[in-house]
Amino acid sequence: MDYRKTKEQRLEEDRVDELLELIWMLIEDGEATADNIAGKSEDPLASSLLKDIESLGLISIDHHSGKVTFKEGGKIKAEQIIRRHRIAERLLSEVFEVEERQIEDHACELEHTHVLGQVVVDSICTFLGHPPTCPHGKVIPRGECCKKFSLDVKPLVGALTDLRIGEEAKIVFISSKYHARLDRLSSLGIIPGSVIRLHQKQPTYVIRIEETELALDKDLAKEIFVKKI
Amino acid sequence: MHDHGTEAVKAGEKIIIVGNPNVGKSVIFGLLTGRYADVSNYPGTTVTLTTGSYRMGGVNTLVMDTPGVNTLIPMSEDEAVTRDILINEPVKQIVQVVDAKNLSRGLVISIQLVEMGLPFVLVLNMWDEANSRGINIDVEKLAAAIGTTVIPMVGVERKGLKELREALDTRTFPSIAINYGGVIEAGIRRLEPLLPEVNISKRAISLMLLAGDESLKPWLKGHVGINDINKIESIRSDIQDKYYEPLGYIINQIRLKRCEKVIADVLSKSLAERSPIMVHLGNWAMHPVWGIPVLLAVLFLTYEFVGVFGAQTLVDLLENSLFGSHLNPFMTRVVTLLIPDTFFQDLLVGEYGIITMALTYSIAIILPIVGTFFIAFGILEDSGYLPRLAMMVNKIFKLMGLHGKAALPMVLGLGCDTMATLTARIMETRKERILVTLLLALGVPCSAQLGVILGMLGGISFYVTLLWIFVVALVLFLVGFIASKVVKGESSDFVFDIPPFRVPILSNILFKTLSRIKWYLKEAVPLFILGTLILFTLDKTGVLKVIEAGASPIVVGFLGLPQKATAAFLIGFLRRDYGAAGLYTLAEAGELNPNQILVSLVTITLFVPCVANSMVMIKERGLKTAAAITAFIFPFAFLVGGVLNFLLNGFGIKL
Repeated sequence: MDYRKTKEQRLEEDRVDELLELIWMLIEDGEATADNIAGKSEDPLASSLLKDIESLGLISIDHHSGKVTFKEGGKIKAEQIIRRHRIAERLLSEVFEVEERQIEDHACELEHTHVLGQVVVDSICTFLGHPPTCPHGKVIPRGECCKKFSLDVKPLVGALTDLRIGEEAKIVFISSKYHARLDRLSSLGIIPGSVIRLHQKQPTYVIRIEETELALDKDLAKEIFVKKI
Repeated sequence: MHDHGTEAVKAGEKIIIVGNPNVGKSVIFGLLTGRYADVSNYPGTTVTLTTGSYRMGGVNTLVMDTPGVNTLIPMSEDEAVTRDILINEPVKQIVQVVDAKNLSRGLVISIQLVEMGLPFVLVLNMWDEANSRGINIDVEKLAAAIGTTVIPMVGVERKGLKELREALDTRTFPSIAINYGGVIEAGIRRLEPLLPEVNISKRAISLMLLAGDESLKPWLKGHVGINDINKIESIRSDIQDKYYEPLGYIINQIRLKRCEKVIADVLSKSLAERSPIMVHLGNWAMHPVWGIPVLLAVLFLTYEFVGVFGAQTLVDLLENSLFGSHLNPFMTRVVTLLIPDTFFQDLLVGEYGIITMALTYSIAIILPIVGTFFIAFGILEDSGYLPRLAMMVNKIFKLMGLHGKAALPMVLGLGCDTMATLTARIMETRKERILVTLLLALGVPCSAQLGVILGMLGGISFYVTLLWIFVVALVLFLVGFIASKVVKGESSDFVFDIPPFRVPILSNILFKTLSRIKWYLKEAVPLFILGTLILFTLDKTGVLKVIEAGASPIVVGFLGLPQKATAAFLIGFLRRDYGAAGLYTLAEAGELNPNQILVSLVTITLFVPCVANSMVMIKERGLKTAAAITAFIFPFAFLVGGVLNFLLNGFGIKL
């Protein structure tokens, strides 16, 4: 946080942040054109702001198709905003259990650099077990902490394999790169939000969900991240 | 095997029973149609369609029992069977069976049925179990929330049957709807115009396509032009690109969340009163330490009941007392009196006679063994022990490129390899299905064969029995291990439902045993007679002598067995159990020493699969794979037998 900046400067920074965030999300959806961005932005002066950040070298606008892409600097900046926003969403939904429709507003306030600094974001990320996605399923850009997987902060959210036998926990996210795995688990009711109880770890993991007992491999259990109740 | 007598009602609209695995669909099917469909306590008992008929408003209507599914986007072949039925068959009424204890998993399917635009009634089965666990469901509220009739039932006690019958008369199209959010809904709207008119709604098919249902592709090719298929593909990848997680997972999540909302309004929990003994037993059976003594106890009791009581006491009673001392001498006398011609005398009561060989083998030796085995097996199936066993052996199967679920078809193979080869459908990948088929065909002895073998080995010592188990298991494991490296393809994850441990219901076991014995008599006995006729012909024409002489280097030289054993291997081509029975009589006549018994039994255990099993292999895995498997097994069986003989002699071991 930089206290030397004036209030006006900070306000200006917030506007840029909001626009970069919007561009990132529209690029994710494959709809990032200048018109689209101006149309969807809540900033009344979005069009001119877009030109400003283009001249700052953060983005480039294809003047033919109107397609907007990030330049290196803009990408890094936007990535950090998105990361802060989505980590904040996770924090609010998992730890504070804020109601879903309020999460968005609060997360928007937390996403700015002068509110949540890098170190704090990484600590929260670690605390949450390095979640790969926000509660809405959108990807959270990885930070330095995720690469190191540092254990300085005791995580609140850990793999199912870290639970002790007999403990109950709520599934926070499932981090698997295999589509078939996610499909199969979800068809058995294993999705974020479900409450499970670890029954045994050997010879395979056995969990109880509702009135069903499910046996599963350790490989799978490792990818299910839970929060103790 | 259950589809005779229903041709008359095959045309027209059908009643289709669907639901999650192991919720009692086959019980409800039995109640409606009066036909017995195999009922057990493990997921995946029904892997093919069973049909029967139900009289509805004076008309016979076809009822179909389908394999259980957790979602209508199939992940294995048995699940695909169910989805295909819903797409292709005209539906009069659907009976969705739900385990009342696990309402949310059932409702996920309800939602998909609603999306398909199909009429259904909802059966909350195992109502008693839910109640004893303190789960109370407000039936009227649930009916209002979904918009259809909801019937609490206890299928095995016929409770709720009257209500179900009444409900079947009215078709209700339920009304619960889901909004999947702007992006997915837009995708559905873009897909719908590209799809053909079929029994189920375009919305449902669009969702399946979005979820990435690979198994729908062949169907799509038959109904949609290549241009539109490409468009469908690009729409799907458009939508998927907007999400990090797979669409199928996202759609499932939205459905489950919707179900949770419904459930929060209708379900309440009170204190559970359960029978602690069954819960404890169930837990012990899969405990990392106690699971092993439980497994040994199960094996020991089965051995005592089948191997000792069935294969020795009962066989002795039937073979020696009934057939040996009374029936055969009596028939011989009658036949000699009535038919003067020795040729026909031999045909009936000679060395290879229909009465003295075929009927003696099949009724006196094998039937009591199969009968006791079916009873023991039925108890295991209905108690819920098999899924726990699958879990215990998961790690061993992992080494063979499979996982614990494969233990189910393997154990079922001890009943009948032919049926078990069908059950290989519960495996999710092609590689796993091929491996299971290979191992079944190679070395899982079916009940009849197992019984004869146990009878012979039990006569020597328990120690030799263990040695036989060890050799066969070792060979199976090695072949599985190597095959998993050779056969290309993927392996799937082990995620497996463990049903509650239950006290088996006597009537179901009796029903099951009787229907299996009936099947044995119908399928095996005619083959036994055929085999005997072939042997008889070969013997009379002198060809048998030629074959025996020709096979002598292998049977006598390599395996170290008497020349007469050739006949046993010959009939082993028809059925391995028949071959084993041939060895049994040789051993009884004192023509085999213990070493020879072990070698010959190992060889016949690994021998070529029976005719029926080969047919199913061709049907399920294709001619090429089936032929390759058989071509491997035939010489391999002799190779293992020969090596074993060589080792026993080499080390000078006398059993």
